[in-house]
Formats: sequence, structure tokens, C-alpha cells
Amino acid sequence: MKLRHKISLLAGSILLLVLLICAGALLLYARKTILALAEDQAKDKQSALAASFSSMARYYSVPEDSDAARESLIRYCFTQFADQEGVLMRGSEPLCSSVSVDPSLYAVPDREDARTAVYQGKVDGRQLLIVASLEWVQADTLYVGLVRDITEVYDAMARLTRLFLLVCAAGVVLGMGLLFLAVKKSTAPLSRLTAATGEIAAGAYDKRVTVSGRDEVSDLGRSFNRMAEAVENRIADLTEQNERQRLFIGGVSHEFKTPLAAVRLHGDLLQSAKLSEAERADSLQHIRRAGAYMTRMTQSLMELLLLDQGIETEETDPADLLIAVESAARDSLATRGVTLVIDRQAASPLPLNRTLMTSLLLNLIENAARSYDPEDGDKTVTLRACGRCFEVSDHGRGIPAEAQARIFEPFYRVDKSRSRKQGGSGLGLALVKAIADAHGATLSLQSEPSRGTTFRVQF
Amino acid sequence: MQNRILLVEDDQAIADAVALNLKIVGYDYARFEDGRAAADSLIEDHAFDLALLDIMLPGMDGFELLGHVKKYGIPVIYMTAKADAASEIKGLLDGAEDYVIKPFDMMTLMVRMEKVLLRTGRLNRIYRAGDVELDDYRHEVYKAGERVELRPLEYGVLLYLMKHKNLTVTREQLLSEVWGFEYMGESRSVDVKISSLRRKLGLGDAIKTVQKLGYRLEDR
Repeated sequence: MKLRHKISLLAGSILLLVLLICAGALLLYARKTILALAEDQAKDKQSALAASFSSMARYYSVPEDSDAARESLIRYCFTQFADQEGVLMRGSEPLCSSVSVDPSLYAVPDREDARTAVYQGKVDGRQLLIVASLEWVQADTLYVGLVRDITEVYDAMARLTRLFLLVCAAGVVLGMGLLFLAVKKSTAPLSRLTAATGEIAAGAYDKRVTVSGRDEVSDLGRSFNRMAEAVENRIADLTEQNERQRLFIGGVSHEFKTPLAAVRLHGDLLQSAKLSEAERADSLQHIRRAGAYMTRMTQSLMELLLLDQGIETEETDPADLLIAVESAARDSLATRGVTLVIDRQAASPLPLNRTLMTSLLLNLIENAARSYDPEDGDKTVTLRACGRCFEVSDHGRGIPAEAQARIFEPFYRVDKSRSRKQGGSGLGLALVKAIADAHGATLSLQSEPSRGTTFRVQF
Repeated sequence: MQNRILLVEDDQAIADAVALNLKIVGYDYARFEDGRAAADSLIEDHAFDLALLDIMLPGMDGFELLGHVKKYGIPVIYMTAKADAASEIKGLLDGAEDYVIKPFDMMTLMVRMEKVLLRTGRLNRIYRAGDVELDDYRHEVYKAGERVELRPLEYGVLLYLMKHKNLTVTREQLLSEVWGFEYMGESRSVDVKISSLRRKLGLGDAIKTVQKLGYRLEDR
């Protein structure tokens, strides 16, 4: 069952109930009022009749009258005031009556306190209102009654009740119809929401609902749109992340293909070709180099992967770190004729991961060393600790402006064949960036072609 | 006349391997590491039967270099690490005859080179090893200028050994290429043909038995 049907039915039932209760109460009140009014009228008329009749009868009667004379006097006096509703009785003997019922059976006045008795009820299929009192004329106790037929009043009341119910029913039907339309209109946004949810579930993440108004359904629509936007953004993020990873994996496998091709081709040659000693040595050397290159790349990849899992830092004196970096780099640089200059200023300890920061600085130093050609004269790399930063500078060939934005991308190389020849993995600066990011440090570079480059890690 | 190959590959290890292979099986070649240098040299010297081009080259990439090479009617085989279909199709639509994807093995490259040379009518089908000459146009074999009669299977084995001069060929390769079926358990027939070739052509020293692998026709 749909929500709008539920709401309409429920509201309709409540409407019907309330209308019935109101109409019932109104009807009961009207009935009571009408009956009281009729009773008052009848009482007034009866008391007027009784008073007028009894005072006239008392005035004219004398104790010496015979019974027969008194009876005719009483009858005469009564007929002077009574109409067809009046009933005069002595004991159970009617003296004067034009109605077919005996009122003294229903309305019985109390002989002691002389009060007026009232009866209202059904007699012989008619609704009767009977008012009666006792009057005394000489020795006679006379019963003066008023019998009024109020069947028509009851019929009118029944007609009124039927009309009321009819109006109620019509009201309920009309009300429910209007209610249904109103509920349908106000739940229409829910249907739109349902449709939109379905589309989003089917993959249309850019779907939104149009929202107007300020009620809860509109609020729901707005919340829904916010949620849909969050979902869309998240999915876009994930898609982008996925795409980055896909490109990265593509890059990795591409990078492995060249050294693998070298290993395979030279392996084939060594196995099957007739080679001179020199050719054999060359092939072996190529295989060794390709192996070393793949080893370096694998290590860099492992470090990149581990960085994703977060790092542990400890307060470290930059000076200590530089000593470690210097001893690790010096020999390899010396064989290539590169001089490493350490510029150590007094600095407060920094929160860093020694291993990773060493790796970062070694990568920057290696990168700087490669900015020189073997035949260059003065090949100096400067490593500086400066307050809350480290700097690695060279005065080699520099990085072209258009390459500076991409230099930290994995497998980006300013000069592909140069980098290969020098054994670069294409991951060195990507690793540097990842390590800096993991430390929350910013990495920047200043470079001028043929003047040199300075990389700066700022904590 | 030997077939002459233009080799443009910037990775030294791969270029060395391919060049050495070309040399020992008897191709002549010129090699370049830079696309632009290769294009420039073509203006002076374009007597090539086939070009082997890497795609990611310094100076000028392989796609652009193809235009310069095709200008002289030289068929092209790409050697690429780009495994995605788009660059393959682009290469072929641009007029490359074939491509090999790194890492490839030398046998694959040589088979494709031979097919392209054959298709373009450029394959030199006269092979020499020492004083033995095989003329594949006329299906004739000479020893020091004297014609030698060979049985069809002997001829097939000799042709295959000649094509892969100085390289080891396995019995399985010979069976599948010369006999034309996959080896089914008896490789003695190969050994029989080899020994009759050694006897008839005096190649006892030149055709080397390579332990556990097969045979190698040596001529260096």
C-alpha cells in the first residue's frame, strides 16, 4: 500500500469519526432542547388551564350543591378553558376528554406535595407528552391533564438526523478526495526521490532532484541531493585514484619491459649464439645492469608502497642526519668525481623518520649528481640544513620550466635516454615527493637551465 | 648481397643485442640511438631493405620517423614496449609492416623480419657459410662452386641452419619447421639428416652439436 493511500485512509477515518462525534453531540443537544421547549410550553399551558379552571369552579361552587350539579358546573368550567388536549378526570373516571388514552396511567401527580407530573413517551404508537396536576373543588379531587401528541417533533428530529448523516457522508467523501489530492501533491517529491534513487543505484551518479518549498519532504530532497553529491564526489575520487593506480601499474610494467627485453635477448644470445669472449662479456654486463636497474626500481616501489601505510617519526637532530647521509653518499659520488659539501647550521630537532628522510636526501643528492655530464669541471652538490628545512643544490644543467611541474610524477623523465644510461629508475623524485608528503613537509624547487637546481624540503 | 637493416633503438642493451644478432646471422646494418639523427642520415644513405624502429625515441619518435623511412620505400617493423592496442593500430595504419612488443625473443623478430622481406620481395635468398652456398631461388647447393645434390629434407635442414647461422637451433624447431609437424617422440631423423649434411658438404666442423639443445652452423 502506498504512503499516500495510507495517509489518506487514516486521515479520512479520523475525519469521519470526528464528524460523527460532533454531529451526534449536536443532535443529542438539539433533541434535548427541543423536548425541553415542548415540555415547558405544555407545562405553561397546563398550569394556565388548571389555574383558570379551578379558580372559576371554586368561585361558582357552593358546598350545598348536589353531586350532579357540581359535576355539571365543573364540566362547564373546564370546557370554558380546555381545548382538545385537555383531560379532566375524577379518580379514574374521565369527566371531560377528547383523547383516547387515559393520562392518569402515565402522569401521576403526587397527592401530598401537589406537584405537576410530566410523562413523555410512546403510547399506542404515538409520542405523547402528558402534563397533569391535581385540583380540589369542594370535596372533589380532580385530575387536570394535558395530552399533547409530539410524534411530529420526533419525526422532524429523525429527518434532521438523516440529513446530518447525509451531509456528514458527503463531507467525508469530499474531504477524502481533497485530502487524497493534497497528500498526492505533497508526496510527489517522494516519488521523484524514489525514481532518482533508482537511477543513482543504476549508476547515474550525477542525477539530482528538483526541490522547492520548505517542508520536510523538501528538506529530505535537499539532504538527498547533498548525499548524492557526496557519493558522486567520492566515486569520482575513487575513479581518479583507480585511474592513477592503473596508470602507475601501467608505468611500472612498461618500465620493466625494457630491462626484461635486454635480459631476454642477451640471455638468448649467450645460450645459443657463437660469441667471441668480448661479445660474451658485453652481453653478461648488459644482463647485470638490467638486473641492478630492476632491483633499484623494485626497492623504490617497495618504499612507495610502505609509505602508504603511514610512517613513524622521532625527534632527530638534523646535524646527525646529515652525517649519516654524507657517509652513505660520499663514496659513490667520489667515484664519479662529484664533491659533496655539507653546510650544517645549528638547528633544533625535527620530527622525522630517519630511514625515510635519509632516503629522500640521498635521492635528491643522486639526482643533483646526475645533473652533471662526466666531462664537466666542477661537480659540486651542496646539502644544507637550515632551521626547519633541508636544501640540496647543484649547478648542473637545470630543469626546463615546462618539466618542473611534472618532475615528481612517477616515471617522468626530462631526458629519457640520459636517465636510462645513468641508471635512473624514474621513481627517485616520486619517492622524494611521497616521503616529504608523509612528513607533512612541502617540497619545492628552483631551477634555471644551465645554472643549476635547488630542491628544498620545508617542515 | 646481404640484406641491410636500419636499426633505431635508444636503449643500448637492446640495440646491442639486436645488432649482434643481425651481425652473426649475416645481415648488414646501420644503428642509431636518436630519431632525428636517423632521419638526417637517410638523406645521404637510404639503401636499406628493412627498418627496425623503437617508438619512444629521443630527437624524433618512431611514428614521425616512419614517414621519413617510408619516403624511400623501406618497410618498417616497430619494436615497442607500448602494449596498448591504440599504438599498435596507429603504427600499422601509418604503414608499418609489423610490430614486436618488448620483451620479445630474437627468434620472433627474425621470423617477422624474414616474412616482411619476403613479402616486399627484398629477401636475399642466397645464403653462404664458408665455401658452401645455398641458392634458395633455384633450390641448389654448391660446395666450393661444385653443385651438390641434396634430398628435400636435407635441403630444408640446411636452409634453416643457414638462416640462423651461428645460432643454436633445436631439434624441435627443425622438426616443426622442416618436417612440418610437432615432434612426436623420435628426433633421430634430425640427427640422420645432420650427419649426411656433414658428410656431403664437408661441414663436420662447421655444424656443431650443442649439448642438450641441438645444432649450430658456425661461420665466424
